[in-house]
Amino acid sequence: MNGIKILLITGVAFIAVYFFIRLRNSLFDILLLLLLIAAAIVFILFPETTNDLAHKLGVGRGADLVFYTSILIFWFVILKLYARIRKLEQTITLLVRKNAIDEADNSVNE
Amino acid sequence: MLPSPNDNIFIVLPAYNEKKEVLEQTVTSLLRNSYNIVVVDDGSCQKISLPGHTHLFLLRHRVNLGQGAALQTGIKYAIQKGACFIVTFDSDGQHDPGDLPAMLAPLQNEPVDITLGSRFIKKGSHNATTGRRLVLKAGRLVNYFFTGLYLSDSHNGFRAMTRMTAEKMIITENGMAHATEMLLVIKKNKLKFREIPVTILYTDYSRKKGQSVFNSIRIFFDLLLHKLFQ
Repeated sequence: MNGIKILLITGVAFIAVYFFIRLRNSLFDILLLLLLIAAAIVFILFPETTNDLAHKLGVGRGADLVFYTSILIFWFVILKLYARIRKLEQTITLLVRKNAIDEADNSVNE
Repeated sequence: MLPSPNDNIFIVLPAYNEKKEVLEQTVTSLLRNSYNIVVVDDGSCQKISLPGHTHLFLLRHRVNLGQGAALQTGIKYAIQKGACFIVTFDSDGQHDPGDLPAMLAPLQNEPVDITLGSRFIKKGSHNATTGRRLVLKAGRLVNYFFTGLYLSDSHNGFRAMTRMTAEKMIITENGMAHATEMLLVIKKNKLKFREIPVTILYTDYSRKKGQSVFNSIRIFFDLLLHKLFQ
């Protein structure tokens, strides 16, 4: 085992522990996470497997295939996060609005 | 004329870090005609305080949310207070209170749901720079692209609507994209609208306070995202 493999597997392990602490409530999340971690470790230990997969899909190198799929996944994550931010913003807006109207009514009654 | 014919008319003024004298001047000029005024302080750094008046309501957002959110708060409050007609007006003194009767007349006398102020119908009713004029022209196209309505003025804060229309005006765009979102509401509910010529006076103050021309790019992206996440 060479240096980069140790480095990557340690990284994956840390991320896995972090996620397990945060998302232990949903069985589906845990299964998905286990699957992803297993796949990541297999690809790290046997990089040739990504090459074979890449060739089947018409991509030159395994590393390129990983790169392309990562871009897709990151776009998806960004959109999900953005949708959540918008939802949060709307919730805050409703709260601030309610507060403003309630306070105005109170000051009129005083 | 009846004693107070403007009792059921509410004017919503969104204000954010507005200069005290300018805001006071705008408010006083509107109070003179016994309209009801709802000032929405959108979380200004320094809390807005105005001399008390029975026709003046002051609301304050705890945090800054944006003009769209402030307008929506004001509109909601005006509906609660029993408004029959609701006007949105800029607080930086660029609109002329003298245009109000013309904006309200179609709502009161005709089956028009909302009137939109336009600085480009009558010649010489604005003193915008060429750059701003071009951006506003481009804004018309953007509005047309998003809403299918082709208006002569794309971003004018002067509007008047009936209570029924106001109840349908649920604005979720907190920022400046609300102007186009309002057009979407008009389109969706098939509301009858009319553009009314109004005077816009750009002062050094309103120019500094108002939006820079580059902000239009941000509005465009807000709109794109609004369409995506609707």
